Amino acid sequence: MTRTPARRLAAALVTSVVVAAAVVASGSAAHARTSAGPIKIGISLSLSGDFSDSGKAAQRGYKLWRNVVNAHGGVLGRKVELIVKDDTSSPTQASTNYQNFITKDKVDLVFGPFSTLLSAPSAAVANRYGYAFIEPAGGGPAVFQEKLHNVFFTQPAPVLQSADVFVKYLLSLPKSQQPKTAAYPSLDDPFASPIADRVRTLLEKAGVKTVYKTVYPSETTDMTPIMQKIASKHPDAVIGGTQSNDAFAQVKAMIQLKFSPKFVFLTNGPNDPAEFPSKVGANNVNGIFSTGDWFPQERSPGNAAFVKAYVKAYGGSVDTIDPTAAEAYAVGQVVQDVAKKIHSIDNKRIIATLHAGSWPTVEGVLHWNSIGEPQGSDLLVEWVNGKLNPVFPKAVALATPITPKPGWGG
Amino acid sequence: MHGVVQAIILGVLIGGVYALMASGLTLVFGIMRVINVAQGALVILAAYLSYALFTHLHIDPFLSILIVTPAMFVLGVAVQLVFVRSLRGPDASELSLLVTWALALGIEGALSAVFKTTYRSTLPSYTYHSWNVFGYQVGVVRVLGFGASAFLLGVLSLLLTRTRFGRAVRATVQNPTAATLLGVDSNHVQTLSFGIGVSMAAAAGAVYGVIYPFNPGSHYDLISRLLSIVVLGGLGSIGGAVAAALTMGVVESVVAVEISPTWAAFSFFIVLIAFLLVRPQGIFGLRERTL
Repeated sequence: MTRTPARRLAAALVTSVVVAAAVVASGSAAHARTSAGPIKIGISLSLSGDFSDSGKAAQRGYKLWRNVVNAHGGVLGRKVELIVKDDTSSPTQASTNYQNFITKDKVDLVFGPFSTLLSAPSAAVANRYGYAFIEPAGGGPAVFQEKLHNVFFTQPAPVLQSADVFVKYLLSLPKSQQPKTAAYPSLDDPFASPIADRVRTLLEKAGVKTVYKTVYPSETTDMTPIMQKIASKHPDAVIGGTQSNDAFAQVKAMIQLKFSPKFVFLTNGPNDPAEFPSKVGANNVNGIFSTGDWFPQERSPGNAAFVKAYVKAYGGSVDTIDPTAAEAYAVGQVVQDVAKKIHSIDNKRIIATLHAGSWPTVEGVLHWNSIGEPQGSDLLVEWVNGKLNPVFPKAVALATPITPKPGWGG
Repeated sequence: MHGVVQAIILGVLIGGVYALMASGLTLVFGIMRVINVAQGALVILAAYLSYALFTHLHIDPFLSILIVTPAMFVLGVAVQLVFVRSLRGPDASELSLLVTWALALGIEGALSAVFKTTYRSTLPSYTYHSWNVFGYQVGVVRVLGFGASAFLLGVLSLLLTRTRFGRAVRATVQNPTAATLLGVDSNHVQTLSFGIGVSMAAAAGAVYGVIYPFNPGSHYDLISRLLSIVVLGGLGSIGGAVAAALTMGVVESVVAVEISPTWAAFSFFIVLIAFLLVRPQGIFGLRERTL
């Protein structure tokens, strides 16, 4: 290829811009970090792209924490400054952002991005530089399989174990009330079907017979054929690994087929208090179970204050608070506590300290194993009298669970 | 056996709605050799219109067909006049593909801006009702959807066979040059037919919104199904589109119940490919066409 004068000019321009940028960057790096200044925290967030809704929710949680903590004098007497960069929902961009936070911006701490997809590579970057990686939303196996010691996931349980609480609940019932058979229709998604598979394994061990299982692709809009097949097997329990639309469609199909099993548990969908009743009919929700890591009315440490501050800052009703915001807020709470305990924000000491003890957050009191998997339990939620409530474990329950599920429209 | 029969019933009911969507697509192709890849997006647009009428004005989605269909007919006529008619020359067919694809993306973008990308459903009070017919559960909305589709396909069929306009349309499909020579105003026929094609999408869209959740991106899945239906039925054949749509509905439903939902969508393509190997022109397609 021959180089035209215009091309050469363009190349020269690009080179000079790059050089100029490098000079500016190195200049700013030289100024970085005086211990009296604010504590700088680098956070890559998906402010655009596929995860932007959740990314923005996390940002609301982080910013709320910053405002609250700064209003109370900051951390160790230093104000908190968040440096947020958009990663466009791309794992590569997220890794690059963390690399830059640490090497260019010389941040004191980093907080996690949204979702497992972005957290896994970002955690590795943080690990390389010895930074603690306290993160709100990367709870999938990809994050933990690297066995990094700098990772701390601020939810009560890893995603795949999120439905274990339902199994515990079922087995806590008197034998006569426990289901004897179950069907498992699940969405082909890393955060849906593996959760239901785990429940199935646990229940099979406990003697609950599997009468049907299937994994359907995400483009399946019509659940009627699947539900019809399940109805013909008359299971006591329908346990679906679902996201949202497929969960709504499953319930809709059950109603139309007049099939009302004793237990309905769906991993996602029914745990959305704003959407679920409008999608399946407000009088059809009762008795349906789901699971959640956080709940607006939960009596966890600092939660009432968080909810109040959130509504004051962002408006809306408590039911519309995205749990991702609470998860992000919990990251801040953990850091605040650990800094207070060790009188330092040294990453090495933070990592060592967080591996021991338990840490109170809006997500409950968290404690981790050596690779950052939280060792608690998610909440079992159920629709009782038209309201979504945590019903199990008993210590956090706000309503008594109803079983068996009342008929549709009841 | 009970399960298979129930699956067949479901498949026929939903196939009827797809038949209505596909009839508009195949009609337009038959007359002007335009593959309107915006048909799926137009269905979704109509689903949103019907949803909006239901949510804000409490108009029953099936009654809203009476409003949505004429409105979208006007839109269809306008689209034909502004975008499609201006395409001339030997590349007109290929260009129309691009133009209608652009239209589909435009509709998707506009819907995303207005309604956001959250999934919506039109949920009238009887959404959850079903009838028990000889031991088979049939959802009320599906029966109504099938009924509305069958009625409109009947009207379309009468329009094409019993009216002067219909004769002109059929003549244009068979041989556009001869039709023009015999005094058929082909521009007029094309414009009206495009409008009719779009209004079929509109009516089907109102029904679609009651049965399935939808968002602005739902049209991708729809158009791939509709194109397969039209190809299986024979390009330009409305009867073929109906037969193919029913085949698709039944095959998918039975496979989902008896084998696995993973294979449901794929199984229809197996049928499509196998059929085209034996009969490349589709169910009712003609082997050769003169242009």
